[in-house]
Amino acid sequence: MLPPPPPRQSFPDGDAAIRSTDDDAAHARVSAVRKGYLKDPYIQYLVPRLHLIPTRPPLINIGTYVRSEVIDKLMVKWLDLLDESSQAQIVSLGAGSDSRFWRFTDLPPKAKIVKWIEIDFPEIVAKKALAVRKHSKLSEAVGPDLAIEKGGTVLRSSVFNILAVDLRGEPSEALQPLEVLLSDGQPVLLLAECVFPYMSPETSAAIIRWFTERYSRVSIISYDMFGLGDAFGKVMRENLQIRNIELPGVDDNPTRQSLEHRLHGCGLSETNSVTLKNARAACFPGPEVDRISGLERLDEVEELDLVLGHYSITWGSKDETGAAARWRVE
Amino acid sequence: MEARARVVMRRQLAQPATTVPGQDGLPALLLLDQSAQIEQLKRCEPLSELQVKELCLKAREILIEEGNVQYVDSPVTICGDIHGQFFDLVELFKVGGWCPETNYLFMGDFVDRGFYSIETFLLLLAFKVRYPDRITLIRGNHESRQITQVYGFYDECQRKYGSANVWRYCCEVFDYLALAAIVDGRVFCVHGGLSPNVHAIDQIRAIDRKQEVPHDGPMCDLLWSDPDDIQGWGLSPRGAGFLFGGDVVKGFNHANDIDLIARAHQLAMEGFKLMFDQMIVTVWSAPNYCYRCGNVASILELDENLRQEYKVFNAAQQDARSIPVKRPPPEYFL
Repeated sequence: MLPPPPPRQSFPDGDAAIRSTDDDAAHARVSAVRKGYLKDPYIQYLVPRLHLIPTRPPLINIGTYVRSEVIDKLMVKWLDLLDESSQAQIVSLGAGSDSRFWRFTDLPPKAKIVKWIEIDFPEIVAKKALAVRKHSKLSEAVGPDLAIEKGGTVLRSSVFNILAVDLRGEPSEALQPLEVLLSDGQPVLLLAECVFPYMSPETSAAIIRWFTERYSRVSIISYDMFGLGDAFGKVMRENLQIRNIELPGVDDNPTRQSLEHRLHGCGLSETNSVTLKNARAACFPGPEVDRISGLERLDEVEELDLVLGHYSITWGSKDETGAAARWRVE
Repeated sequence: MEARARVVMRRQLAQPATTVPGQDGLPALLLLDQSAQIEQLKRCEPLSELQVKELCLKAREILIEEGNVQYVDSPVTICGDIHGQFFDLVELFKVGGWCPETNYLFMGDFVDRGFYSIETFLLLLAFKVRYPDRITLIRGNHESRQITQVYGFYDECQRKYGSANVWRYCCEVFDYLALAAIVDGRVFCVHGGLSPNVHAIDQIRAIDRKQEVPHDGPMCDLLWSDPDDIQGWGLSPRGAGFLFGGDVVKGFNHANDIDLIARAHQLAMEGFKLMFDQMIVTVWSAPNYCYRCGNVASILELDENLRQEYKVFNAAQQDARSIPVKRPPPEYFL
């Protein structure tokens, strides 16, 4: 097989802008950890020059916290609902600097996670593979069979794998490397944290369908913006355009429900969704709400609700076991 | 240009204690100096640290004479949060007319969040010093040492002056700002809202206001509370102040013989929001708040019969000056 072409030529212009959104997410996470919203002992190894990253405003810290926690809760619940014989397979699209693999390795095992596959741009994969090799805290959890291949753009081990894939390519080709890693009959959880907004609706649908058509038990957790037809959305698009970031995947999603419809259209029957705004109000127990509100004095609730009301976490399953109906945030 | 200004000033110096009628007997030289400062600030050019110090001292001398609840005569134009959005404040003055031609009442939150808190606050303060009877400034929850250290004003002072001195001078002025105002005895103006410990406006007069905004108590509540669709009082999600319902507003307005409570403090996407049979209104004067929210802003013009006219306006056109080059665009959860 030929070696992959040099990263800079492999993607069209504008990808640097999309890649830069990983820094947004990672830096916001660093800030939320620094301020005590989140616990994450691994982010320090995945994000370089930590001390130079400025602390974000409370609104960003709170939103980052809600997003991260709700997705974690959904993943924990998904694992919880699996029976003991199930072997969980996680596929994280556009995973970037996400530390979730290590954080979930620390959790008491509920269902066994046999595969954790992350997919991203080669530049980001290379960065992460390097971090894993460099820090024993990361590499120990991956295990002794850790191997880095193809000039640093592929990380392989028995459980944890990172692959460089352009998700906008034809899925039958782009996702083909997954076929040898995933086994049918065992549950697959797709994680798409702010990935679909950067691609066309046709492309994201084709990706989801690739999974639902090949595997019998598929679930997805997707985090996206929606409803950007209003004044807030107009300003958001303008502000992101300054950074060269376009959101072609958001046009088809005026409402939270439209995000669920997308999943239905791709073969996932049981679907659900919650906005970050509603999740903040409803998904956390009293003592935790008190702890969070005590961390920083929030000066503005309307602005927070306005911003959080434009993001949704949507999840759904194609599953014959009936467990999907009980998959809720708790 | 500077030299010419200096010559004019010298000539004024030679005339002993010239005063301009109707300006409280202030010497003309001082007025000239203040007018020059206003012109400078209108161009969004910051003052020197020494000038800020002097301006803040003069402002304190004026503000210390004001009551906790400042009396204001109609007609007056009432404005809500500005939050350092200097070029939008200029837009506001273009819509409402400049001071002193228009009589203004600003309900606090001059600083934090925007890129130009210093220029914004100092321009309003310069107007206050130059035309004390044509502009009233009351305190918002952001006019506080603690809050400004979280939401940007402190950092802006550090960045623009290399020390916290300007921040300190301004914070000392904050402590002297009135807590509320009342227009013609009929319209009660306050930044946040009501307090379960304040039933009569006279109770506000008893507060010792010359201090940092406390974490609780009536002074805190006036600056932090919000009206909400509840009965009675509720806990505020902000962690300070209270939520209060329509029944509370009705009771307060009746007991104090008030027609309307005008307040700010909450983003209103349409620029203003009337609630509870039009007994309370939120006026919001920061368009496209934080350069992110996409909202319009408004000012409330009360004529001599206290008839209300809301003038809605958009954010200033973004040009090279309105957003500093090095500043990253607003953040999103990407």
